[in-house]
Amino acid sequence: MQQLIFGLANGSIYALMALAIGMVSSTTGIVNFAHASVVMMGAMVSWWMMVICGLSYLPALFVAIAVSIVLNIVMYETCVKKLGDLQNNVGWIITLFGASIILDNIARMMFGTEPQAFPYLFGGKMVTVFGANIMLHELMMITIAVVIGVVYQTIIKRTRFGRAVRAVAFRPSTSELMGIKSEKIILSCFAMAGAVAAVGGALIAPITFASYTMTYSIGLKGFAAAVLGGFGNTKGAFIGGFILGLIEAFICIFVPAGIKDSISFVIMIIVIIFLPEGIMSAKFFNKNLSAAEKV
Amino acid sequence: MLKVENLTIAYGKTEVVHHVSFDVKKGSVVTIAGANGAGKSTILNTIVGLHRSKEGRILYKGEDITRTAPDKLVSKGIRLVPEGRQIFAEHTVEENMLLGAYVEKDAKKIRDRMDQMYDRFPRIKERRRQIAGTLSGGEQQMLAIARALMTAPDLLILDEPSLGLAPIIVKDVFKLLTEIKQTGVTILLVEQMVDNALSISDYAYVLETGKIVFSGTRDEVKNSDDIVKAYLGNV
Repeated sequence: MQQLIFGLANGSIYALMALAIGMVSSTTGIVNFAHASVVMMGAMVSWWMMVICGLSYLPALFVAIAVSIVLNIVMYETCVKKLGDLQNNVGWIITLFGASIILDNIARMMFGTEPQAFPYLFGGKMVTVFGANIMLHELMMITIAVVIGVVYQTIIKRTRFGRAVRAVAFRPSTSELMGIKSEKIILSCFAMAGAVAAVGGALIAPITFASYTMTYSIGLKGFAAAVLGGFGNTKGAFIGGFILGLIEAFICIFVPAGIKDSISFVIMIIVIIFLPEGIMSAKFFNKNLSAAEKV
Repeated sequence: MLKVENLTIAYGKTEVVHHVSFDVKKGSVVTIAGANGAGKSTILNTIVGLHRSKEGRILYKGEDITRTAPDKLVSKGIRLVPEGRQIFAEHTVEENMLLGAYVEKDAKKIRDRMDQMYDRFPRIKERRRQIAGTLSGGEQQMLAIARALMTAPDLLILDEPSLGLAPIIVKDVFKLLTEIKQTGVTILLVEQMVDNALSISDYAYVLETGKIVFSGTRDEVKNSDDIVKAYLGNV
């Protein structure tokens, strides 16, 4: 039970990262390789605010969210927009990787190389569920992630803004003909992804410790989850994230802990080989879907 | 209504439209005819702000709208029904209509307009909950036109509305355009298969490799044997 909740809790953060990566890739077609660094920055900034500036958890988180939103917008303006036509230009692969490295090194200079203890929500209070001791923080991780997922899905499905996001994702230039400013929609998606990144970073930091290496230790799992679930698919992001988290939690029983981290990537590779568009593309999930004609 | 003066358009260094001028009078239907690659779509995309012109200017109701952003032009009453319909295939039909009214903020106005459109397009109303990609080609064309009419435009521009449609459906589309014209909307059409387009047009221009080579009233075009033979097939 403890392992199960632990797996789901970590998985929910992977899901949040996959979700944010999907927000950006669905409207622009690019994969934000610097996303993991923004997650790390989210964690580091909220740690800094709490420990150095003495803020409590929530205000610190809001500062981190604001910083991450700004980071993502700056990244879009400098690393993506300047390149022009993204269909013909894959320069963003390099510029975003570069941004990631810059952010990591800034974090290392500002916050040091030492992993820092990060306070839990509710002061690390435990509750007993079915005889197992479970940290309230872990339950909150899952709850917050699911709430964000549901809210995002509702916005996308039901609101004027959501319709516009899907329209821009599907046909950017036709969306312009409707009077939608594609640019503004894309920028909003980058901003949302930044906010979600900060939340994810701040939630998982107590478990992993806050450190500039989070980019690789945690961030890459977000990409694995995104690939598992299929890019830009909300449900898929959560399925991918949870699967990844659970496998990691239980795999230790079978393999030495040292190769735990490589397992997720082995799974990712297997999924890519058999289901290149992610788990959600399996026939099992698409039984009743009529083939929509794409013109 | 619309006046295009000396318009030159280039993709990178390649000039594709050279010093084109034409005029669309209020309440009229004007056709620009021409073969594939003549630059017809490029001209339309430039008028609605998707592409930048290199030279020349575009006047709408006497106002210079050269290089105005597409969303502003939609608000001013210019709508383009793009080539190949370009409906949002993964949205529902109703969502397509709502996207058509994106610049309109007043919910009641949108509702009223939608009801009007549903009256005029009963087929679209029947299918409003369906995913738009499941509509037939003709229905998609009707949806694309209805979507553009959601903001009650003064100038409706259509890029090859007959493309890929069965002849009987094409007849329906042009019948609809005649009705739209009667409501006072000015129409600018671009077509390759011009027999239908000419039958509803007041004036026509023939475009060849980025230049206007002929212009005249419908009858003048029909009576010009060379033009008919070269561009228009059997009229």
